[in-house]
Amino acid sequence: MSALILISVLGVVMLYMGIFSRKQVLAPVAILGLLAAIALFATGWHIPHHLLGGMLEFDGFATSFSIGMLVITALIFLFGPDYYERKEWHVAEQYALMLFSLVGGLLLASYSNLLMLFLGYEVLSIPLYVLAGGKKRSLRSNEASLKYFILGSFATAFMLMGITLLYSLTGSFDLGKLAEHMAAPGASGMVLNFGLFFVVVGLAFKVGAVPFHFWKPDVYQGSPTLVTTFMATVVMMGGIAGFFRFIDSTGMPDSLARSMVLLTLATLLVGNVSALRQTNFKRLMAYSSVSHSGFLLLALLTDSGLHEGHGSAVGGTLFYYTFTYSLATTGLFILFTIAKRANAGAEHNGIFKGLWQANPWLALCLLAMLLSLAGIPLTAGFIAKYQVFLLAISTGWLKVMGFGVLMALLGIYYYIMVAREAFLPAEGSGAFVVSRLNWVVITLCTIGVLAFGLWPGWLV
Amino acid sequence: MVLLALLLIPLAAGSLLLAMRPAAATARGLALTSTLFTLAITLWLWYAWDGVAVTALSHDWVPAWGMRFVLGYNGIGLLMLVLTAVLFPFVIGTGYKQPVGDAALVNALLLYCQAALFGVFMAQNAILFYIFFELSLIPIFFLLLRWGGMHKRAITIRFFLYTLMGGLALLFSIAYATLQTPAPHSADFSALAALQLPLATQQWLFWTMFLAFAIKMPIFPFHSWQPETYTMAPTQGTMVLSAIMGKMGIYGIVVFLYPIVPLGTAYWQDFVIAISLFGALYAAVIAFRQENFKRLVAYSSMSHLGLMAAALFTWNAYGIGGGLYQTFAHGVLMVCLFYIVGLMELRVGSNNFADMGGLKTRMPRFALLFMLIVGNAISMPLTQSFPGEWLMFNGLWQLNHWMALAGVVLIILGAIYMLFAFQRVLLGPDRDVAIADADGEEHFMLVPLIAIIFLVGVFPNLVLKLVDAPVQLLLNSIPPLP
Repeated sequence: MSALILISVLGVVMLYMGIFSRKQVLAPVAILGLLAAIALFATGWHIPHHLLGGMLEFDGFATSFSIGMLVITALIFLFGPDYYERKEWHVAEQYALMLFSLVGGLLLASYSNLLMLFLGYEVLSIPLYVLAGGKKRSLRSNEASLKYFILGSFATAFMLMGITLLYSLTGSFDLGKLAEHMAAPGASGMVLNFGLFFVVVGLAFKVGAVPFHFWKPDVYQGSPTLVTTFMATVVMMGGIAGFFRFIDSTGMPDSLARSMVLLTLATLLVGNVSALRQTNFKRLMAYSSVSHSGFLLLALLTDSGLHEGHGSAVGGTLFYYTFTYSLATTGLFILFTIAKRANAGAEHNGIFKGLWQANPWLALCLLAMLLSLAGIPLTAGFIAKYQVFLLAISTGWLKVMGFGVLMALLGIYYYIMVAREAFLPAEGSGAFVVSRLNWVVITLCTIGVLAFGLWPGWLV
Repeated sequence: MVLLALLLIPLAAGSLLLAMRPAAATARGLALTSTLFTLAITLWLWYAWDGVAVTALSHDWVPAWGMRFVLGYNGIGLLMLVLTAVLFPFVIGTGYKQPVGDAALVNALLLYCQAALFGVFMAQNAILFYIFFELSLIPIFFLLLRWGGMHKRAITIRFFLYTLMGGLALLFSIAYATLQTPAPHSADFSALAALQLPLATQQWLFWTMFLAFAIKMPIFPFHSWQPETYTMAPTQGTMVLSAIMGKMGIYGIVVFLYPIVPLGTAYWQDFVIAISLFGALYAAVIAFRQENFKRLVAYSSMSHLGLMAAALFTWNAYGIGGGLYQTFAHGVLMVCLFYIVGLMELRVGSNNFADMGGLKTRMPRFALLFMLIVGNAISMPLTQSFPGEWLMFNGLWQLNHWMALAGVVLIILGAIYMLFAFQRVLLGPDRDVAIADADGEEHFMLVPLIAIIFLVGVFPNLVLKLVDAPVQLLLNSIPPLP
């Protein structure tokens, strides 16, 4: 609780600091606040507790996801001073909005009540609609903001509809009550099925599952890169955590399993196949994040509910997957910004050309992080995908798994093609300018990806 | 510790090259020294081999999924280690006369590849095997993509996707098999071998495993990446691919298929032998029609590997022993042949037979060296290929006389296309061009290789002593077939 309050207050403090002090002090203060929040979470690590009359439940899963999101946010904020150096004047608002959004993510990781699900969902989303339009004079940024807002509102409406239907069955927002209702014999029917389906639609929108993914490429491309990074990492983690908490309490009845299988297959297919042809790096990352959502959905698909005792393995896998994915994505977007500056604002995949000659270490970092996203051994991405494989096989989703394997193959292709660019001779004349702080963050991300790949026991 | 050194020496040397980026000569010297060190280690292991499998290192990694870091070897693994260690100095040495580019980077990639290959042949845990299996691909991928020939991009990508597809199918099988072991799960080969899966499962599991190895070798009909890739790759890359990486497929068959899915292997045995032999004949015929020297050698490699795969599936000591023995002979032969291809390319500027011919009087010493190697390629007695071919032929004969006949036809076809290649390169009316004969450096490469050819040819037991015991063990451990 104290951590939630701390971060909310931190956001407000950021806003005031925006008025009274220079922007250089914003990031350090925000990061200190985040570190304090991490410390608060870490001290309460092994003590599951309920808050707000049982509406929030801080168990191991919620705590690890919360810490994960805080760490990634801190890494993104470390990138902040450099990113906002020449960009914007409304810097404080950006930090504050990201902090507010983060609070939504924390709620999503810990809710045990549908009302809190909705609250977390909205608190996560609304700041993002603003952040996506952060570049006020850019057409694409405005498009991203509007598109995200309109589609997001639809998704919210769907989710509300679902929550209402579920409420009509149990007379309570409590997830435990819902689980009891579903466990009772003869508990199926149109209302329940549609209720579950609509809530899943809302959640699927947030993680960008097909066919609710259309916002992703445009929003990723249009938003300022720092915000894109935030969306691709923290928002993804929050969305997946929220998805898991819902699925884990309802279990996987046949009606839900049917729609989930379709979602999974479509997401894997569309995400990977579309990513093959992308030449814009941000769009590539958007489609690839859709494909990663597919793998995460596949892991979710194997969750058959609390009573099976399987959920903690799924939760652990999801945390490992999203956290290492976020580490790699953060590092890559920072490298992307560096390369973009060196190429006069171009965003195509070719901007990484010449990186190997100019800065071999960063080229190796790029390679390691791309290989991690692709799932090549010795990186965390491989362990993450392997865990999903194990889950799917142990619960008997063999054919869906086989399809996933094929799609992973496509994934390797498009990531490797980007990695290749870095080792080609430079075309442009621009130099890669790397600030010391960025170098540190990229290195941290790379080391994280490799270390968690070599010693996955640290996170599992 | 010794096994760990095999992994770490090339890794350290490669990293040193990347960090220091020394001049070309220093880079090659350092790489060569590193490979000679590992050669000394494996030769010592080979000398000390007493027929007992060794597990040297065993650490838990992620116990929950059966991942353990276990290094060890039996005779078959040791054979592969020796093969890798013997050939790599020659692969590095090729770079002296036939450099491809940034020497520090190329040699670092080659050394990383060597480390991964050592890992593949030492891993005693299926997941560890898979990890090295995939890692060995990455340096080669970059080598090809950066320094390949015509259409390098499209060809490399096809090669990469093909092998990765097999790899992912293998990973899927490993995950499946691991989950079938009693809890706590273990992916150690010993635990997987103790599995007794039902026949219906083994039937499909066989293919998801075999796919990876069939693509890697490659055998028909999973071969379509191979001729293009071998032709396009720089000589050093082709050498590694054909002489050593192809052997990962052979090794995989012995380590995965026989112990884990014996019933599936028995079920598909005839079919696999049939497609292997068909592919071998098909490749031999195509090899004969080639106008490009390198492509001819590529097809000949595929033809030889097809025969080896067929022999491995015969399920008797002759066939398996012969097939394994031949991995060594074939590896040495491929390095020789691709070196010669590179040597000619350096002189006439292409690989086309049209640009060669009538050179025997201009390069007499080279003609002699080439003749000796061709003798090995067509399995003349006293060369190393002869005992292998004889064993494989015996193994096929025990199973089915028609298959043995196909083996004989293969040997004849092999003689035809290799002699034909020799003729197109050197014989014919004298061509009046200024062309240098094989020089000192090239003798320095080819003479030791030819020495190995005859040494092993006269004393095949040097190699056979490694595989005899494990093959017997393998055959005994397999449950009686239904």
